[in-house]
Amino acid sequence: MSRLEAKKPSLCKSEPLTSDTVRATLSVLKGVLTSCYGPSGRLKQLHNGLGGYVCTTSQSSALLSNLSVTHPALKILTTSVQNHVSCFSDCGLFTAILCCNLIENAQKTDLTPTTVIKLNKHLLSLCTNYLKSEACGCRIPVDFSSTQILLCLVRSILRSKPACMLIRKEVDHISALILRAFLLTIPENTEDHIILGKSIIVPLKGQKVTDSTVLPGILIEMSEVQLMRMLPIKKSSALKVALFCTSLSGDFSDTGEGTLVVSYRMSLENAALDQLLNLGRQLISDHVDLVLCQKVIHPSLKQFLSIHHVIAIDRVGVALMEPLSKVTGTQPIGSIGSISPSSYGIVKELCTAKFGSKHFFHLIPNEATICSLLLCNRNDTAWDELKLTCQTALHVLQLTIKEPWALLGGGCTETHLAAFIRYKARNEPESILTDDGCTQAELQLVAEAFCSALLSLAGSLEHDGGEIVTDIKYGHFWSIQGDCPSVVNWPDLLSRCGCGLYSSQEELSWSFLRSSCHPFAPQSCLPHETVGPDSNLTLDCLTAKLSGLQVAVETANLILDLSYVIEDKN
Amino acid sequence: MACRVINKRQHVGLQQLSLFAETGRTFLGPVKSSKFVTGGDCHESVLISSTVRLLESLDLTSTVGQLLYEAVQAQNNTYRTGTSTLLFLVGAWSRAAEECLHLGVPIPVIAAVMSEGLDSCREEVAFLQVPVHNVFDCVHNSRTISGLETPHVGSCPFLQAPSGAGGIPKEHDFKHAASQLLTVYSLSGRPVKLPEFFNLPVKVEAGKEASQGLKSSVHTDTCSRKSVLTHSRHFNRTNNSLWISKQDGFLEQYSAATPKTYRCCDLVELAVGLSHGDLGTMKLVEAAVQLQYHKACVQQGNCTVPFMFDVSRVFTCCLPGLPETLSCVCSGYVTVVPIASITLIEGLENQPLRVVLIEGDLVESYHHLGFNESTNIKTVLDSVELQGDSSEELWTNYVLQVLTQFNVNLILVQGNVSEPLTEKCGHNKRLVVGSVGSSVMQAFAEAVGAVPVTYVSQVNADCVGSGVSVTFWRTPLEVVGRSSGMPILLKTEGINLITAVLTHSVPAQMQAKEDRFWTCAYRLHYALEDEKVFLGGGAVEFLCLSHLQILAEQSLSKGDHPSLGWLPNTSCWLASSLPAYRPTVLKCLAGGWHRYLSALMCNSATCPSELAARTFIEHHVQNATASGSPSAYILNEYSKLNSGIFNAGFSDKLEQVPRVYDIVTPKMEAWRRALDLVLLVLKTDSEVITGLGHAQMNSQEVGGLLFL
Repeated sequence: MSRLEAKKPSLCKSEPLTSDTVRATLSVLKGVLTSCYGPSGRLKQLHNGLGGYVCTTSQSSALLSNLSVTHPALKILTTSVQNHVSCFSDCGLFTAILCCNLIENAQKTDLTPTTVIKLNKHLLSLCTNYLKSEACGCRIPVDFSSTQILLCLVRSILRSKPACMLIRKEVDHISALILRAFLLTIPENTEDHIILGKSIIVPLKGQKVTDSTVLPGILIEMSEVQLMRMLPIKKSSALKVALFCTSLSGDFSDTGEGTLVVSYRMSLENAALDQLLNLGRQLISDHVDLVLCQKVIHPSLKQFLSIHHVIAIDRVGVALMEPLSKVTGTQPIGSIGSISPSSYGIVKELCTAKFGSKHFFHLIPNEATICSLLLCNRNDTAWDELKLTCQTALHVLQLTIKEPWALLGGGCTETHLAAFIRYKARNEPESILTDDGCTQAELQLVAEAFCSALLSLAGSLEHDGGEIVTDIKYGHFWSIQGDCPSVVNWPDLLSRCGCGLYSSQEELSWSFLRSSCHPFAPQSCLPHETVGPDSNLTLDCLTAKLSGLQVAVETANLILDLSYVIEDKN
Repeated sequence: MACRVINKRQHVGLQQLSLFAETGRTFLGPVKSSKFVTGGDCHESVLISSTVRLLESLDLTSTVGQLLYEAVQAQNNTYRTGTSTLLFLVGAWSRAAEECLHLGVPIPVIAAVMSEGLDSCREEVAFLQVPVHNVFDCVHNSRTISGLETPHVGSCPFLQAPSGAGGIPKEHDFKHAASQLLTVYSLSGRPVKLPEFFNLPVKVEAGKEASQGLKSSVHTDTCSRKSVLTHSRHFNRTNNSLWISKQDGFLEQYSAATPKTYRCCDLVELAVGLSHGDLGTMKLVEAAVQLQYHKACVQQGNCTVPFMFDVSRVFTCCLPGLPETLSCVCSGYVTVVPIASITLIEGLENQPLRVVLIEGDLVESYHHLGFNESTNIKTVLDSVELQGDSSEELWTNYVLQVLTQFNVNLILVQGNVSEPLTEKCGHNKRLVVGSVGSSVMQAFAEAVGAVPVTYVSQVNADCVGSGVSVTFWRTPLEVVGRSSGMPILLKTEGINLITAVLTHSVPAQMQAKEDRFWTCAYRLHYALEDEKVFLGGGAVEFLCLSHLQILAEQSLSKGDHPSLGWLPNTSCWLASSLPAYRPTVLKCLAGGWHRYLSALMCNSATCPSELAARTFIEHHVQNATASGSPSAYILNEYSKLNSGIFNAGFSDKLEQVPRVYDIVTPKMEAWRRALDLVLLVLKTDSEVITGLGHAQMNSQEVGGLLFL
């Protein structure tokens, strides 16, 4: 007898953003994210409350993947930020905080969401057009013929992640390594389009950071016993390689469904082993020198191969399969039947290496666009953070090669952009408003909300009670002690702007962020000479920040547009 | 998901850290007081005398506890030593960081100045490094000089010496050695003598540990028992230096034979200096090094390749319940077999054995790693003809058949061994030993030319090694009363494997003894690997303390000190306010060293009270900073030890006081790890508990939590 249970009615809530609990959770989320922002951001310990691994981090990717938010509006926010991070690696916190700020500020105005959304879109396109234009005053070209700007870019990323626990020397060491690893992935002979290689990060936890290094080729970890047993590599010429992605362990895990009935006198294992040995014979007759297997090789097959002076390396792992196949030019072999000769590849050299307490096989290919970044850090949580950071930096370099521009970091882009918007909205409103029924007054209100979202984002870089001022020439970000007297000698109190481009001795005048000063057109005087060999700029990735800006505004618009939340209670 | 703010002026995380660290205070320094850790529920208790064991048995479920545990484990896994230093400094510096917070120093400034301050210390202590070079030269020379004198362990004087001797050379020899070493050690440019700094470990060695050292004997690989020279504990305590002058055993003997052997004491001196009061254990380690060195020399003919102490080829075998005097170092592999095998061993003695090495288990159902057994394969019997023998028996017979075919009478198995097989092999005069370590297998593989295999079916003529001999480690009478088994010794010519047999009459102390052995072994290993050591006994920490004091004073008077204190964002206002806070933070950091030193002195009972210790340190820090160069001061005071500046009560016979050394890399890494942990916790402002909802928490816990 079946019983039918009445379905519960769906729950429908209107105007979700007006509810106090949603506002409160949004502000908690914003608080968590804001406190992580920037080089002096505070760290968060992520754990499950039951003991075990503790992740100490201030990165959006680690934070957001562990935050389980309940409200749909917040879910939209976290998902779109995560999506942005998975595509661009950098500027996750920027996106999330800006989005929160935009929502909060929009709620403070009395305008309808539709108006705000419409005007936000206009302002967004104003910003993106400006950032992409030649006239943009807060970006600098990236010169690939010198390492200077690239190093600044990498260093800025490393410095903004305090949970990596690096001191100055270590930051310099790691940024040089990252840059070298990136350069090793660029092919030497470029044709029409470049296909970048890959940097594989090899973990070496517990060691000093400065023990980290970069090697061309691939490192495969092995046990010490394996090292002892390894045959001396005699061959001086290139080695012929076979790469297996199937298991050679001689088991029969793929027998399918149903039961297989085997006679007592039959030995399936021996049959499987015979097959493997046949495979071994073929490999030997094909003069293969090196057999690599993703999974396990049967000990008898290993013994057989080693008698015939073939080096066998098993348990390579799935992560290395693609780079291995790329580097050696092999087709991964998926069956133990017959092997087509075309699936074999070549490796230039194979040697062994020891780093810390770990031993590795080191495969050096002929033409390498693959390198291994051997990354060390003293403890697990700092290593994990450093790994994420290195991946971000490598990704940012890749993005920069596509769009060779960098934005001024340290809050300068935000304040500069805010000054630019303010000026445009006040002086050339008609260029923003394109006959869709919004008044200039509405534009002023929304532009003010937009600018204050940007400025309070820049202000989030400060965590220790300092204050932010901007100069009224370039619109850059300057940090100042909190309780300073009102009449001060500004140039003495300030040193350099956030990105490090301008010094306070350059006859500028400043105003507090919170005070409303007269709108001015920020100048884009960019003396290229300032980027000297020892200049130390803080830079951001243009592509990532541009996308972050777009994602933040569009997500904020989407959330502001929510009028009902319908919840299925079944 | 919930979020808790843990940082509001009173940093909960830092407080927890210093609380946890306090538990390990007594493990600092050479005199370690053991602890009983008792389980609340089942009244189980464990005797603990090391930091690692302590943290293993504590319930550290909080995030900070977990991070601390990870930091200590990471240090231990990498270096096997330095964990007590790490734990103590974590406590000391978390208190220092908290002090800074109370004084209103911004967190980034604390972090920046502290890490750069420590970095500066790490550079400064290079002045106290003592290079370790060619410690084996004399050993090697003596071997060639002594010519055909048994080129074995026998030529190693240390092993032949009556137990307990040899640690300290005779007075005139020491003087001689010291003058030889003068040029090497004088880093400040002028020749200085370097006696003991703080005398902390001396009393310990002389008083408490020496007797232990005297009692435990070091035996040669022939396993013959030597007469044991025993001194009364009380006798030693009343006259601290008496035992030293009495120990003229080996040196006199030895120097009589070959006059230029005083350099031989290099390794001995190094070992004694690194023993940190545990002379007995260090003797075993040193004997192991000597054995390994001679093996290497014999094998290579002329040691062209620089010799490295390979810890992976040293093995321990713990035999609880036997008197401590039986502890020794043997060439070969000592393991315990069941009493039932005694007759089998007797039969196999005095004959070369043929050996097979099996990786994995030696049971019928064993498959190599990565072999997935299918669940849907069913074996059926065609008829009733085969029902007589089970598959297990068939397999056992097969194995025996293979063993007989290749005439194998010793099987070393890395994993477990099937009981019936062991029995059957025993009947057939074949010995099966299970649970053999992989480095042991490797050593046998190298020495006898055997190739390790996974399955018996893989065995062929090339896999079998020969020439292994088996003996009882001691005659069965000597180890009588041990019901758990009979220790045997497996060895072969030229095997690069050393077993340290550790015995202790109190089984509860066994673990601690083994831990101590490894600590000493790794200490010596790192000293030889780094090729340098620090002057120990607190000298390095004292230098750090005085160095930081000077830095603090300099930054007070001179103002900016550009190299010290680096903020990741240099344009931040904190960067310009940093000079104002620098002296405060540096002083707090120095306070951590101060606490370390006074804890060291209190633990070693060189000072009656903490106050006395602090006054004592204060006095010398003042002198050191006043002198302008603390490192020079320390080196000088070393030589002025005679006049008793550091060392009241040790006014005479100071030349005999052995130096104390510290290892370089592990120690400095422990410092950095400690500070990293403190700063990691300091920079953390809240913990995010994933997967928690309102419903899962009771109302008490909800306090202070924010939900998303």
